[in-house]
Amino acid sequence: MKNYFLYLFFLFLALPSFAQNVQKYTISGYVTDELTGESLIGTNVFVKSPMRGATTNTYGFYTLTLEKGNYSLFASFMGFNDWTQEIVLDKNTKLNIKLSPSVITTSEVVITGERPDKNIHSADIGVFDMPVEMIKKIPAVFGEVDILKTLQLKPGIQSGGEGSTGFYVRGGGPDQNLILLDEAVVYNASHLFGFFSVFNADALQNIEVHKGNMPANYGGRLASVLDISMKDGSNRKYRAEGGLGLIASRLTVEGPIKKDTSSFIISGRRTYVDIVMKPFLRKTSPMKESDYYFYDLNAKVNWRVSEKDRLYLSGYFGRDVFDLSSSTQNFSNIISWGNGTSVLRWNHLFNQKLFANTSLIYSVYNFGFAAKQDEYEMKLESGIEDWNGKVDFTLIPSPTHTIKFGANYIYHTFIPNNVSGKTGGVSLVLGPPIKLYSHEGAVYLNDEFDLTSLIRINAGLRYSTFCHVGPFTRYIKNPITNLTTDSVVYASGENVKTYHHLEPRLAARFMINENSSIKAGFTQNYQYIHLAALSAVSLPTDIWVPSTELVKPQFGTQYSLGYFRNFNKNMFEASVEVYYKDMKNQIEFKEGALIEDNINNNTDNNFTFGDGTSYGVELFVNKQFGKLTGWVGYTWSKTTRLFPDINMGEEFPAKYDRRHDVSIVAMYEINKRVNVSAVWIYATGNTATLPASRYIIGGNIINEYGGRNSFRMPAYHRMDLSVNWTPAQKKPRKFESSWNFSVYNVYNRRNPYYIFFENTGNIMEGRLEIKAKQVSLFPVLPSVTYNFKF
Amino acid sequence: MKIYKKYSVVLILFSVIIFGCQKEVYIDLPNPEQKLVIEGFIEQDQYAVVSVTRNSPYFSPVDSSTLAKLFVINAKVIVSDGTQTEELMLDFSNAALGVWPFICYKGSVLKGEVGKTYWLTIYAEGDTITGQTTIPEPVQLDSIWWLPDNKHNIENDTLGYIWASYNDDPSEHHYFRLFSYRRGRDKSFVPLFGSVYDDILFDGMDLTFSMYRGVPSISDVDSIQKDKELFYFKKGDTVDVKITSIDREHYEFWRTIEQEVYMGGNPFMFPVLIRHNVKGALGVWGGYSATYYTLVIGKD
Repeated sequence: MKNYFLYLFFLFLALPSFAQNVQKYTISGYVTDELTGESLIGTNVFVKSPMRGATTNTYGFYTLTLEKGNYSLFASFMGFNDWTQEIVLDKNTKLNIKLSPSVITTSEVVITGERPDKNIHSADIGVFDMPVEMIKKIPAVFGEVDILKTLQLKPGIQSGGEGSTGFYVRGGGPDQNLILLDEAVVYNASHLFGFFSVFNADALQNIEVHKGNMPANYGGRLASVLDISMKDGSNRKYRAEGGLGLIASRLTVEGPIKKDTSSFIISGRRTYVDIVMKPFLRKTSPMKESDYYFYDLNAKVNWRVSEKDRLYLSGYFGRDVFDLSSSTQNFSNIISWGNGTSVLRWNHLFNQKLFANTSLIYSVYNFGFAAKQDEYEMKLESGIEDWNGKVDFTLIPSPTHTIKFGANYIYHTFIPNNVSGKTGGVSLVLGPPIKLYSHEGAVYLNDEFDLTSLIRINAGLRYSTFCHVGPFTRYIKNPITNLTTDSVVYASGENVKTYHHLEPRLAARFMINENSSIKAGFTQNYQYIHLAALSAVSLPTDIWVPSTELVKPQFGTQYSLGYFRNFNKNMFEASVEVYYKDMKNQIEFKEGALIEDNINNNTDNNFTFGDGTSYGVELFVNKQFGKLTGWVGYTWSKTTRLFPDINMGEEFPAKYDRRHDVSIVAMYEINKRVNVSAVWIYATGNTATLPASRYIIGGNIINEYGGRNSFRMPAYHRMDLSVNWTPAQKKPRKFESSWNFSVYNVYNRRNPYYIFFENTGNIMEGRLEIKAKQVSLFPVLPSVTYNFKF
Repeated sequence: MKIYKKYSVVLILFSVIIFGCQKEVYIDLPNPEQKLVIEGFIEQDQYAVVSVTRNSPYFSPVDSSTLAKLFVINAKVIVSDGTQTEELMLDFSNAALGVWPFICYKGSVLKGEVGKTYWLTIYAEGDTITGQTTIPEPVQLDSIWWLPDNKHNIENDTLGYIWASYNDDPSEHHYFRLFSYRRGRDKSFVPLFGSVYDDILFDGMDLTFSMYRGVPSISDVDSIQKDKELFYFKKGDTVDVKITSIDREHYEFWRTIEQEVYMGGNPFMFPVLIRHNVKGALGVWGGYSATYYTLVIGKD
């Protein structure tokens, strides 16, 4: 293994780079916001002749190697005035750049020159950035700007529909997305069944999304990576920002701990939909005594120890609580779920060419359901807890190579599904609480280099491993009677099953001319942890399970090809991408599996395995500047599954197979004070498994079901509108405020959530009529939010 | 287990009540494959009873004319205990009483005996259907009593649950099903709400549990909503409680049927796969051993 890596390392370095033998020097530094000292991620730092550029990394650090000479150095980033400086490069230079925020929006800034267009030039296919500034302009549901909602407006990324947590990227399941907040994994990124995400946009800086072709520094999930960075917090002055809305409010406070050296940021958000709804509920409504609320808290502290070292400590804590209780009917049901993360990071700059980051991470997700009715009590818990350490290096040995390498280790503890119950004070024998333990590790090497001036290659190799260890008891079941015949006990730390795999990653970009390029990508990924969905709708009740001797790691291969073209001096970005994905070892619960089947049993005895296939075409046109900006995205895709034990071994559509998906987003600046935006989305209806016929047993109607997911619900479409208005201030004051008016589902389309059947009549009296009814969740919902900043 | 059922009810309730808007929709479902449905049982010391019905397209309404067509009346139904064989005869007495199944085939020779196996063979509509079941050893309840439901303070303590205690023998594995019959009020024995149990859940324990009175048909939503005594037993009634012991396949059938009846159509759960124990058709052929208890509610 070691030799293989060394061999690859030298191979990359030895590749001809067609550079002339002229003296080269490196210019590097940090790009920050002049007002707050906040590091700026994804800033373009470039020179024009030759056209060479770099973008700042997650820590705001850039490095650019050029031939000795005189240059005009430019830096540009959305929301800031362009910056330029003449430099004389005759030795390795350290240059920190401070950008000033633009008071006028970017659309009115005249671009002095061409900027390198990441979409054409970068060799990363299927990747894009979402700057928080842009997200804040999209219509906000209930005034809450939402990253996941905005993400789902891009081609290839779909929501599961209203009321469904999770999102689907190129036909991949919700567990196949790696969601990172300052490098910590967030296992369930949804509040209120998918209506809001757990991310408070005021605390965030940037989101980078990889739709499948992820470079070797990412792994562990098949479908996508959502790499979210929190703001550092201003180290120059104290600031606060927040909003008061109809159903939720938020507040962010940031400031220096020691000016120019260290800072903090704290951000909180809570809903009060329960308090707002109560006066509208009838006294007799069972919801009268019910409560629903969620809250989020993000906090971060950072410290610039020296010119070469920085420390960051960040954390997130959030929870959803749903309390459905009634004292009159004597029942109490409390459902709650939430994530917690905490990350300690150390950036170290060895020299101009070698940058390293070390992180120690703790992440936990848990879900709990506690029910009480008369003398019955039941508790159900599930969750996952990670202790994670990683180190990542970026080495830029020459202008044409950017090498990344590193290692990652996670210790997982899973609580798949612990049930305990009591009746009349007697505890039921439901088996001991189960915890599953495992080690996951990876090392990687990645190089991005220019093979020729027209061809850029991004190649990498990741070696990953997973080990399920004890304490663990394997129950061996008789396949017919389902009774336990034997059990094998493993001691603490004892190896139960180990997997290890190589994951090659390759992407290439061929420039056709300055305005267009073709990109191709090939990725193989392994995923060692899985989300088993107990329901036909994605819910917080879905459980995380590790790979075991029965559950093999999921294996995905993705091929993608795209043509990228910009028009009108980069005013319009356009692309067409096609992809094909093959997924092996996908998991479903066995047909007819019930919660009871987990008692005195291993959860994985209830799974069945099969393959998935997804392919599609994504069209995207984006207008980047002018008074009118926005994009149109269209995805055609097909996602199917083939399981020997489901649907009688015949291919069936995946639950989230969506033939057509259209998103149109438009943002218009009427003037400096007012901007409006509109969003229209259309998606083919979700699949459902409906009854094919009915029969009667014991006087009850029994449904006989048809093919799995063979029915299509009506299409989903809706339009949202939003207006942001900043009232004029007679004198410029420190306190700024603005109003947001938005309407969700403007034309009140009743989008189907699910279909159920209602019987009238009584079979015992010889009369029966069955009707199909559709339930919709959200009708037209207007809202007002007051936002402030000081 | 009742609480698992409540779990999904809560989830449905949440979505429907908070934001739910409902409307009727018209769905075009293709005509289904025709299948026969068997509902047969043989109880200890009683004759076998078997009904043969058909499945129907999902939305086809039922009225007096179509109801009769659901029943197959020209089938040949044979029960055997390995030595003796009997052909069951068509019987219409249930129809007059309004007890399901309205038309069935009844025996008059073979009575169910504990420990024996019974085979069923049916020739109907060109198909041959077979099934096999056993009548296990009967089980006993340790004691049985009634308590008013004080917590709700309803109707001056006239409504409450029947309670029972059961001592589980860990060396034996039992599956049982519970029924109740209110004399003069119920037309026949009605299975409890959540009637089947696997004693592995309380292996070796002394279990005290309450009985929720069931309804003749869960599908009859109207009657259920009007029933002021739903789940309860009322003071003054004389109630017969039957605890039956059934074999594993028989238990699996009722467990999955009840799961489907209580949660069927719930989008939060995958459709339940019913574990039929007959071959060549849908349905069940089950043996019961039975122990009866009588309780006069309110009389100590």
